[in-house]
Amino acid sequence: MSIPALIIEDDEDLADIFAEALRGIGYEVEHAADGQKAKERLLNGAPPHLILLDMHLPHISGGELLTTIIKKDERFAKTLVIITTADARMGEAYGDQVDFVMIKPISFVQLRDLTARLRPKE
Amino acid sequence: MKQFFDSLLNVPVPDPDDARRRRLLNILLLGNIAAALVGLLAIVISNLATNQLANLETAVLLGSTFISALGCYGIYQINRRISGRWAALLYLLLLTLVFTFTDTPDQLSNGRSLFLFTLPIAISSLILLPEASFLFAFISGGIVSGLALSIGQAANVFAIIGFFMLALVSWLSARSLESALRELRTINANLDQVVTQRTQALAESLARERIEAGRNQVILNSIADGVIVFDKDWNATMVNPAIRGILELSPEVIINRNFRELIEHPRLSESGRRLLRSMIEHDTQPLSFRIEWGDKTLSVSAGQVYEIYENGEANIGTVAVFRDFTREAEVERLKSAFVAIVSHELRTPLNAILGYAEMFREAVYGPMNEKQVNMANRIITNTQRLLGLINDLLDQAQMEAGKLTIKMEPVKPSELLENLHGLLDKTASDKNLSLTSEMDDTLPETLMGDSARLGQILVNLVNNAVKFTEQGGVRVRLFCVPAVQQWGIEVSDTGPGIPHSELPYIFETFRQVEGAATRTHGGFGLGLAIVKELVNLMRGEIKVTSDSNTGTTFTVTLPLVVP
Repeated sequence: MSIPALIIEDDEDLADIFAEALRGIGYEVEHAADGQKAKERLLNGAPPHLILLDMHLPHISGGELLTTIIKKDERFAKTLVIITTADARMGEAYGDQVDFVMIKPISFVQLRDLTARLRPKE
Repeated sequence: MKQFFDSLLNVPVPDPDDARRRRLLNILLLGNIAAALVGLLAIVISNLATNQLANLETAVLLGSTFISALGCYGIYQINRRISGRWAALLYLLLLTLVFTFTDTPDQLSNGRSLFLFTLPIAISSLILLPEASFLFAFISGGIVSGLALSIGQAANVFAIIGFFMLALVSWLSARSLESALRELRTINANLDQVVTQRTQALAESLARERIEAGRNQVILNSIADGVIVFDKDWNATMVNPAIRGILELSPEVIINRNFRELIEHPRLSESGRRLLRSMIEHDTQPLSFRIEWGDKTLSVSAGQVYEIYENGEANIGTVAVFRDFTREAEVERLKSAFVAIVSHELRTPLNAILGYAEMFREAVYGPMNEKQVNMANRIITNTQRLLGLINDLLDQAQMEAGKLTIKMEPVKPSELLENLHGLLDKTASDKNLSLTSEMDDTLPETLMGDSARLGQILVNLVNNAVKFTEQGGVRVRLFCVPAVQQWGIEVSDTGPGIPHSELPYIFETFRQVEGAATRTHGGFGLGLAIVKELVNLMRGEIKVTSDSNTGTTFTVTLPLVVP
C-alpha cells in the first residue's frame, strides 16, 4: 500500500531528490513548491502521514505553516513532521515542535533511511 | 619709620664690616645728639624755673652741650660721607676729651668718674678696630695718670691695669664677633649660591615639564580618535578635542566628571553600558570592545597606566580611546550577510548534486556498473568537500561578526565520541587508518557544554588528523583533571608532523603548512582557526606538539562544569 507524504520545498531539484527517496520506500509523494500552495494543500487536502517541511519558503515561511496550521489543526495530530533547514539555529528553535530536524545538505541515503524507519508497519 | 631710621643710620659701602661699624657709630652719634638736645631742653627748663639763665656756669654748660652736639653732627657727616675710621677716631677722642673735663681731676683719676674712661676703650674695639681698645686704654691710662700727677697724687696703677684688661677683653670679643660674622657671611653666601642653583634647576625642570606637557597635549590634540584619561577613581582628568566629534559631547562636559556618570548617558546602548561597567568594576587588563553610542558603533580600547615603584607597581589610572567604528561595523555586517547569502545559495545546488550522485550510486534508476558507481562516489566526495568548506566559511563569517555563541547544556562525553565514530569511521577506514578513542574514568558521565560546538571541535581535529596521516591512525582521548576543574580533548596522529617553524601559525585563517601537503589535501585551512576560536569562546586553551617521527598531538583544555 502507498502512504501519503507531502514535500514542501521550493527548490525543484531538492524536491525531486527527496521525492525519489520517499517513493523508493513506498511513499506516495505530493509536492508544494511555495508557502502559499502548501497552505492551500494543507487546508484542503487529506492529512498526509509525513510532511517534509522546508523552513525557508517564498510567500509563507515554513515556521508559519508549522505554527499556524500543522500544530493548530487536530487533523495533523498523527502526522510525522520533519523540518529541513540550512540554518542550525532555526532547527533548534523549532526542534521541540516536530519529530525530526534535518540540517541541509540532506543526503538522499540519509533521508531514505530515516523515513524508512518512520514508515508505519504493514 | 624703620626705613627712615635705616636711611639715617646706614652708610652704603661695599665692605659689610665697615658698614656695620659706621652704622653703630651713627647710632651712638645720633643718640648723643638726641641726649644733648634733651639735656639742653632740661637745662633751659630747670633754669627758667629758678631764673638763673644769666648764670655763667649755666651758659658754659649750655654752650658745651651745644658744641658737643654740633661736633657729633660733624662727625656724623664725616662718617656718612668721608670715612668711618676717621669719624670713629674723632668721636672716640672727643668722647675722651669730654670725659676729661666732666669731673674734678681727683674724681676722674681715683674716684667715681674713673669708669667713664672704660667707655671709649670698649666702644673703640667695636667701631674702630678690635685692636683700637689698646690705644684707648693707653690714652685713658695716660690721662688718668696725668690728672693724678697734676694734683700731686700717684698714678692709679690698678685702674691702668684694669683699662688694659678691659682692652684685652674688648679686643678678644670684638675679634671673635668679627670672625663669627665673617663665617656667617660665608655661610650665607654659600647658602645663597645653593638657593640660586636650586631655584634655577627648579625653573628649568618646570620649563621642561611645561614643554613636555605641551608636547603631549599637541599629540593628544592631533589624534583623530577620542581620548579620555581617567585617574584611578575614574575621574576624567584629560580629554582631547576629537572626543567632541565621536561622543558628540564637548570636552568641558566630560572633564572632571566620573566615568560612572558618563555611562548613564541615554545615547549609550544597554549592552555598551554593561561592558563599560564591567570594565570599571573589574579593573581588567588592556581590553578592547565595541559599544553602540546613538547611531554610531564605537570601538573602545582601554589600557591601565601603572607607576612602577621599587617594590611593586600601582594603578594610577586608565587611558580610554574611542574610535568611530560605524563604517567598519557596517562593512563587516554586509560582509557576513553576503557570505551567509552566498553560502546558502551555494549550498542548495550542491545539495542537489550530492542527492543526484547518491541516486546514481544507489542505482535508483536502474543498475550501474562498477565504474559508474566509482564516479558517483567521486562526485559525492568532492561535493562534500565543497560543502564542508562552505560551512567553514559561514562559521568564519559568523565568528568575525561576533555572532558565534556558545550555549551551555548537559553533554555526555560518551555521545560525543559515538557521534565522532559515526561520522568519521568510514573516512578513516577508507584510508586504512585506525580511529580509536578512550575516556578517563574520572570524567563525569555528564558535563556542561555546547554539544554541537564540541562535536565540531572533535570532528575538525580528527578530520584534519585523518587528512594528513597516511599510515597508522588517529587516537582520541577525553581526559579529566578534577584537581584543577578541567577536562579536555586530545587528538594524536601518526602523520608527518608539522615543522616547528610553522607551529605558531597553524591556527591562523587560510593558512596551511607549505609544501606538498597543500596540493595533496587542498582546502582553505579554516578548520583549525575555527577550532581555536570555539575553544577561546569556551574559555579554554588549545596546544599543539609535533614531531616528524611520532606525529602531531592537539590538546584542548576546557573548564570543567558539572550540572
